[in-house]
Amino acid sequence: MGKPTWRKLALTLAIVPALGLAACSSTGGRAPEPEGNGGGGAVATTERIKVAVITHAAPGDTFWDIIRKGAEEAAAKDNVELQYLSDPDGGRQSQLIEQAIDQGVDGIAVTLAKPDAMKGSLKKATDAGIPIVSLNAGEDRFKELGVFAHFGSNEQLAGEAAGEKLKEAGLKKPICVIQEQGHVGLEARCAGVKKVVPDTEVLYVQGTDMTQVESTATAKLQADKQADAIIGLGAPFTMTLLKAKATANSKVEVASFDMNSQLVQEITKGNVLFTVDQQPWLQGYMAVDALWQNYRGGFTIGGGQATLTGPAIVDKTVAEKITSFAEEGVR
Amino acid sequence: MKTRKNKKTEELLEKLEPKTSDNLLTLKGVGKHYGSIIALRGVDMVVDPGKVTCVLGDNGAGKSTLIKIIAGLHQHDEGDFTLHGSSIKLKSPRVALDAGIAAVYQDLAVVPLMPIWRNFFLGSELTTGVGPFKKLDVQKMKDITKQELSDMGIDLRDVEQPIGQLSGGERQCVAIARAVYFGAKVLILDEPTAALGVKQSGVVLRYILQARDRGLGVIFITHNPHHAYPVGDSFLLLKRGRSIGYYSKAEITVEELTAQMAGGAELAELAHELEQLGGHAEELAEAEAGAAAK
Amino acid sequence: MSSLTASPSHKKTTTAQDERVGKKSTLSILLGRPEIGALVGAVALFIFFAIVAPVFLSPASLATVLYGASTIGIMAVGVSLLMIGGEFDLSTGVAVISSALSASLISWYFGLNVWVGVVLALIVSLLIGFINGIILIKTKLPSFIVTLASFLMLTGLNLGLTRAIGGSVSSPSIADMEGFQSAKAIFASSVNIAGIDVKVTVFIWLAMVIIASWILLRTKIGNWIFAIGGDEKAARAVGVPVVRTKIGLFMAVGFCGWVLGMHNLFAFDAVQSGEGIGNEFLYIIAAVIGGCLLTGGYGSAIGGAIGAFIFGMANKGIVYAEWNPDWFKFFLGLMLLLATVVNIVVKKRAESSK
Repeated sequence: MGKPTWRKLALTLAIVPALGLAACSSTGGRAPEPEGNGGGGAVATTERIKVAVITHAAPGDTFWDIIRKGAEEAAAKDNVELQYLSDPDGGRQSQLIEQAIDQGVDGIAVTLAKPDAMKGSLKKATDAGIPIVSLNAGEDRFKELGVFAHFGSNEQLAGEAAGEKLKEAGLKKPICVIQEQGHVGLEARCAGVKKVVPDTEVLYVQGTDMTQVESTATAKLQADKQADAIIGLGAPFTMTLLKAKATANSKVEVASFDMNSQLVQEITKGNVLFTVDQQPWLQGYMAVDALWQNYRGGFTIGGGQATLTGPAIVDKTVAEKITSFAEEGVR
Repeated sequence: MKTRKNKKTEELLEKLEPKTSDNLLTLKGVGKHYGSIIALRGVDMVVDPGKVTCVLGDNGAGKSTLIKIIAGLHQHDEGDFTLHGSSIKLKSPRVALDAGIAAVYQDLAVVPLMPIWRNFFLGSELTTGVGPFKKLDVQKMKDITKQELSDMGIDLRDVEQPIGQLSGGERQCVAIARAVYFGAKVLILDEPTAALGVKQSGVVLRYILQARDRGLGVIFITHNPHHAYPVGDSFLLLKRGRSIGYYSKAEITVEELTAQMAGGAELAELAHELEQLGGHAEELAEAEAGAAAK
Repeated sequence: MSSLTASPSHKKTTTAQDERVGKKSTLSILLGRPEIGALVGAVALFIFFAIVAPVFLSPASLATVLYGASTIGIMAVGVSLLMIGGEFDLSTGVAVISSALSASLISWYFGLNVWVGVVLALIVSLLIGFINGIILIKTKLPSFIVTLASFLMLTGLNLGLTRAIGGSVSSPSIADMEGFQSAKAIFASSVNIAGIDVKVTVFIWLAMVIIASWILLRTKIGNWIFAIGGDEKAARAVGVPVVRTKIGLFMAVGFCGWVLGMHNLFAFDAVQSGEGIGNEFLYIIAAVIGGCLLTGGYGSAIGGAIGAFIFGMANKGIVYAEWNPDWFKFFLGLMLLLATVVNIVVKKRAESSK
């Protein structure tokens, strides 16, 4: 190390931009922004209200992007100022609720992954007269916490729906791949599958390292020659399972939960049998819209019951219809 | 006392100067302070090839600051530090090494987990080959290490063993041999015998003489006048950052040296106090009588 | 002056021997190498899984185990060198993803040939290493703290910039861009050996181990690395360039992160911006199992590789044995403990007493 290395570094820094200009890619890359994002429609004429959507999203999960898109579209339509916040830690999520109350929001939408941690702050919100809805998690507890509507999909039901579809296809020994050990929702999905297909086996992989996901799944497929299906609980993970299937020279069918545009393409091509979509866009959209409805006329949708947004099975026929929506990022 | 010291120092310096027009290393009125703490003030010293200069003093006397200045770890704030007649301020140990000043520290001399030959050539490794394929000339370094150590009197068949397995005295000797090999002109030894037993100390003292005989100017720092006296040619006494005496061997005895270091009166007082506490007045009297009889 | 001989302390003669020292056999020399504990552990583990899960021995399984080992091993090479040099880097896990995201987002946003992104990602990775090193030198804080801070900052940057530039938490697909296929061939392809597909990362890993070992054992810089890790003050006192070497080590770790990041990008196309967290400890574990002292100054790159291999075997072996995967983490922790104990015991026996 010494002067020569610095000179080389400076030279590289000078040359690279020049090369870069010469080396543009004619394919792929960022598409130019479409003219006015599907807009042009009328916005609600009600007074602008503030809504806080507070979830337990861990940073970096693509699933929540779709919920957010739904919430943002509803906000745009309903003349709502949207605050989108999240923290996977129950205590801190509760603090975010209290902050929203302090800011005087007109409505709060929460996910109830840890309902006991939310109890205190939700009571404060009710006392302050702020209407609350819940989404995604908390189907069995929302009423007692003063929440008037819930929009979500039951993970166990979703698992059972997947199980039924597998049974239909004559598959008897699926491997259910969980990318985060101890995650209640993921465990519930596999439990649902197992209820319908008793020979289901669970495989834990390290979701924070895609290479380990691939090698562990490959190992499992090499070890377990009896398995006839493998299920990923998230679109990116299912994509990796496809790679593992190829490396292991396996003949298993691949199924999935949740969606992104790549997964939809794979379903259309027939590489993935189906995916169970809980239509997260709807969860975000309905949560914000329900609060606006409540503001508009005191309406409470749902009749005290949870409004289910899924499960919706997306197989080859459905996939072909929704390809463009998946590319848009709403499905 | 002060006048006497100055006169003595000047006499000594005069004695040294005409002999060699350019001393190897001189310090004139050198001082250093850390913030408001004065670590060293007004120190004079001369180092010549083939001579051992001992720097004596109790803890806190400023010995460590003095060698750090000479070895390039710190820079002096006042006074003049010359090497071969020209004034210098050493910016780093690397610069000091290049100037021919090598320091051997009490416990910082070597890296315990590394083999002896790697330690010997640390910072000055021999390589063969060119460009990115330059690699260590391992065999040559091992051979030289073995050779140099045996020249200095240590016979080690296996220079691959971690240097931490050698005894404290042997490690010091390896470090001294290293300094000698790499052409040090001035060798600073920082309390090399402080943690050693009697026999090991003897070994190290013999090495000091070997280095001296090879023409190096040796600066030997210690708080033990009984180690310093046999090997030293001149003695610099430090107390609380100042010089309290600078003598050549002819001018002082080992008892005077010891008394000067601790302060004669303090030592007598201490002996008296210990006597009182210990209550061994009779045995002490016997022992003194016996010693006097010898 | 007569040539005085110090008391003979380690004479290896067959006749006159110092009564305190025994003869040093080849076996004890071998036992003194830093990797020996790890090697013993690796062999034991291999035999264990071979017995418990016969499918473990099939070539396809070995290829899978090697792949799992290589993605830890590539980073373990850099982390081992750094640990021998006396420092930690906790930002390695996310730095890998930062590199992948840099290449992906830059190429995508500016519509460039993917190779440009690859080169720029290299600069980013080296820069991250450089900054880690500089902050360490200037603040004189423990590297644990400095790199913990950069770990947090990089995590935030990964998430924030990916959303800001790409619009979601997953980087956009670049598979249809120019240069992708050629880059994939280099960073994320497979080599067919006797009918088995071995991922290219295995070969990259082995090459890196060889180069790192050569640097460590046969160059000046290697000597400096051992010295700085063993006793930084002693090294500085004899003129070893401590600052430059340490910064260089952090940049070497950055380079390893770039290699793995590029593999991640071209193997999986879309990079999840929250990935990478947690791996930094696996890299350190691999280095420690491989014989690198946590306090520095001792260890080897080969040891780190064996540690990564042990991790790969344990990780995949449990799956091949079809055990309950709930126990995996317990097993890994137990392995680490046993391996470290074996290392210490073996090292103590190999060293003569002082």
